[in-house]
Amino acid sequence: MSDLDRAIEQLRACRLIPESQVRELCYKARELLIEEGNVVSVDAPVTICGDIHGQFHDLMELFRVGGDVPDTNYLFMGDFVDRGFYSLESFLLLLCLKVRYPDRITLIRGNHESRQITTVYGFYDECIRKYGSANVWRYCCEVFDYLALGAIVLGASSELEPTGSSMNDTTQSTMPIDDGELETEVLNSHGEVTSTSYRPRFRPSSVASNDSRNISPPRDISAASGSTGTPTRTGVPGTGASADGNGSATTSRTGAVLCVHGGLSPLIDSVDKIRLIDRKQEVPHEGAMCDLLWSDPDEIEGWGLSPRGAGFLFGGDIVKQFNHLNGLSLVARAHQLVMEGYKEMFDGGIVTVWSAPNYCYRCGNVAAILELGEDTSNGGTIARSNGEYGRSNGVLGEGNTVVSPGRRYRVFEAAAQDTRGMPAKKPVADYFL
Amino acid sequence: MNSDGRSVRNLSKSDASIPHDFIAPGKKIHESQDVSAFLVSKAYTDIMTFLLQLNRSMFPSKLPDGTSQSWPIGTDAVQFSAPIRQLQVLLSKVEDLIQEVPPDNGPRRFGNISFRRWHEVLAERASDLLRECLPAELLDTPSADPAGPTAEAELKAYFLGSWGSGQRLDYGTGHELSFLAFLAAIWKLNGFPQSESGVEERAIVLGVIEPYLELIRALIKTYTLEPAGSHGVWGLDDSSFIPYIFGSAQLSPAINEADLIPEEGSLPGAPDPGGVAKANAVERERKTNMYFSAVGFIYDVKKGPFWEHSPMLYDISGIRAGWGKINKGMVKMYNAEVLSKFPVVQHFPFGSLFSWERDPNAVAAPTTVHATSGPQARPVVPDGGVSSTPARPTVDAGTKAPWATAGAGSRAPPMGPTAAPWAAARRDGPPASSSTLPDTSRMPPGPMAPTRAPWAASQAAPLPGDGGQVPTKAPWAK
Repeated sequence: MSDLDRAIEQLRACRLIPESQVRELCYKARELLIEEGNVVSVDAPVTICGDIHGQFHDLMELFRVGGDVPDTNYLFMGDFVDRGFYSLESFLLLLCLKVRYPDRITLIRGNHESRQITTVYGFYDECIRKYGSANVWRYCCEVFDYLALGAIVLGASSELEPTGSSMNDTTQSTMPIDDGELETEVLNSHGEVTSTSYRPRFRPSSVASNDSRNISPPRDISAASGSTGTPTRTGVPGTGASADGNGSATTSRTGAVLCVHGGLSPLIDSVDKIRLIDRKQEVPHEGAMCDLLWSDPDEIEGWGLSPRGAGFLFGGDIVKQFNHLNGLSLVARAHQLVMEGYKEMFDGGIVTVWSAPNYCYRCGNVAAILELGEDTSNGGTIARSNGEYGRSNGVLGEGNTVVSPGRRYRVFEAAAQDTRGMPAKKPVADYFL
Repeated sequence: MNSDGRSVRNLSKSDASIPHDFIAPGKKIHESQDVSAFLVSKAYTDIMTFLLQLNRSMFPSKLPDGTSQSWPIGTDAVQFSAPIRQLQVLLSKVEDLIQEVPPDNGPRRFGNISFRRWHEVLAERASDLLRECLPAELLDTPSADPAGPTAEAELKAYFLGSWGSGQRLDYGTGHELSFLAFLAAIWKLNGFPQSESGVEERAIVLGVIEPYLELIRALIKTYTLEPAGSHGVWGLDDSSFIPYIFGSAQLSPAINEADLIPEEGSLPGAPDPGGVAKANAVERERKTNMYFSAVGFIYDVKKGPFWEHSPMLYDISGIRAGWGKINKGMVKMYNAEVLSKFPVVQHFPFGSLFSWERDPNAVAAPTTVHATSGPQARPVVPDGGVSSTPARPTVDAGTKAPWATAGAGSRAPPMGPTAAPWAAARRDGPPASSSTLPDTSRMPPGPMAPTRAPWAASQAAPLPGDGGQVPTKAPWAK
């Protein structure tokens, strides 16, 4: 067993690794991350996760519900640290997994992955407290500077294969139509379907024969029946988290999905513009990089001032235009607590995914992760729109829009508390000495 | 010992015979460096003086027969004067607004959007509410300059600042500070009756501040207000601070008029500080003690192990030296974590009652004669080496655990009897330069070791790509 595997084992048990090992880990992580572009290309299938905020036990619950690394591909949209008790354990574990399985896990930067913010919201205090010095905080902050700013998910299937296990009495099916595509499915932490939605089967004249069901059934990414809660997955997951997105733009019904922590920026009208940012720095207080990590969608038109004091508010028209120009079907983002764990806005043009259940021990919210399945309709060839400006023009005929991917939300609650023992009291801050 | 032999200083009241100009309060703290100027301002001195005055009043009193009188919540031993009762009416009228603006039941994020409306209603009615509950002659106290505002302009600013942010749907210690200033402003304007030392102060704490805190808790629960800029689990409490000060005072050893505030020990029979980690002890004590009352609210709103969601309070509960020790620490911590923190005090407005002007006594030259004669803002620290200009934020050697260095030179030897809690903080030697970011959260700051907003250190140690520019924004909400 390698040192790295041992570190993973130790961190999974919620035990910290020695400072020297953190240093080494952070060095390796930077070497890896420096090779990634600002916008990482990730192939479906992938499971997209929102804020973690040091809720280690809930992160373990997330892995139980979503499947373990490396069996499931993950994309974490930042805010690993601050507020919770276990920012170190959570972030270091994710970093270890990144170094160990670089193609299976993608980490992008949140607004809390910043020196300034972590000194205010707790991660700095935690490092001092747990390591007795700021060294580990400094190593981590150096890694933060190298995290990608976003990711593009390619090759997601437009249709979900029904999970099969449902809670019959509570299932709210919007349109159980015979010939409908299963567009969204919501499962609880036991793998039981709690709601579904369908859309009319899309039959563009030019690709009418491409009914995916008749050619190649979508790969099963669903949970096994029963309620073990650990989904069974078949086949080799497509990966490619480290590849930069310069794939050719070819036909695809399902538009690409842009993943970013906060949202859009008035300074960014194309995904390519994100690629031009010099990201290896502390998060600035303004500008494109800041906005991507700080902005929020809101029920307004155009752009608005953000009450956060950084980033902007942006309306549905902005999202619609951005998605259209970039051949995107969806923006997935995190950054805001949503009580139901996920929230789609603007006709499904953007979704907030939040993965910290009972946030701050008191919010009473559930958490969610978003699974995007792999599109195998083209005989296994990944059809992609790569999110580049204007590339979608030749692909989509007039009147056609890109179809959003099938979205499976797995909702979960905070991990049980009873397994956590009470630790010894630590020395108090010097105010009390 | 000082010639006056007393360890208590009270916030001075205005003299109606001296012409005074009120000033519509405005923001002065725009950048993190401005906090240093705040810490030597008259406003800072007044706030700290008032806080300590209230704190002292909450210590149990020694009685002639050798027993002691404590001051629990709900005690009959504290009488409420007419102004106190009027303030209680004010609080209940503010509370009534909750019924008028019920929380929105629609899909929502955490903070309830109806709180914005609640805030608007409060702002619309604030003048009327103040007029109903405060004496007209107090509100209408004129400026010497006939064109100047009346006292109402200043009182209203602090009143309105006391109820969280309708914009951000949050609440924090900055809002609590505003309420403290509102009460201190009334005090300065002679809005409370003259009485024996401590009598009116106790009534303010038990009769106004504790109900205010209860009302805040109702607001937080009703509108699910978020903590305004917290250290997460690593802060003392998501929203409040002063109940920990007054609550620890309630359980500290008894004093008499001439006694200094005890720095350790507990009132006989006081609950064990370790009780905060035990639900049944909290349930028992929260009815009578402000510290446990605050902890009880944490139990109400948080799920999970206490040591995990409240590690600071958990560790403090292990202190063996008694509630007096905890009280002293809480005051120091308030000075450092609330009054010295840019994100907290940046919104505090300054007028005439809380003046941005420099307190001439704040940085008296070392070892001057007047240090021991006449009223002064705070004891002069002989070896302080205070510069006459507000120090720019500099960087501490921040690579050690706070508690690791605490015993080694940063703590003051016992001060003279008049030592205010901040005096110890100011004994910290000049900060050493270092290329690392400081521990901004633990060093008791003061003018000598100014607390930095998180980004302040970037001036000493430029961050990659930071370009050395001086940021002017807050470490933002959320």
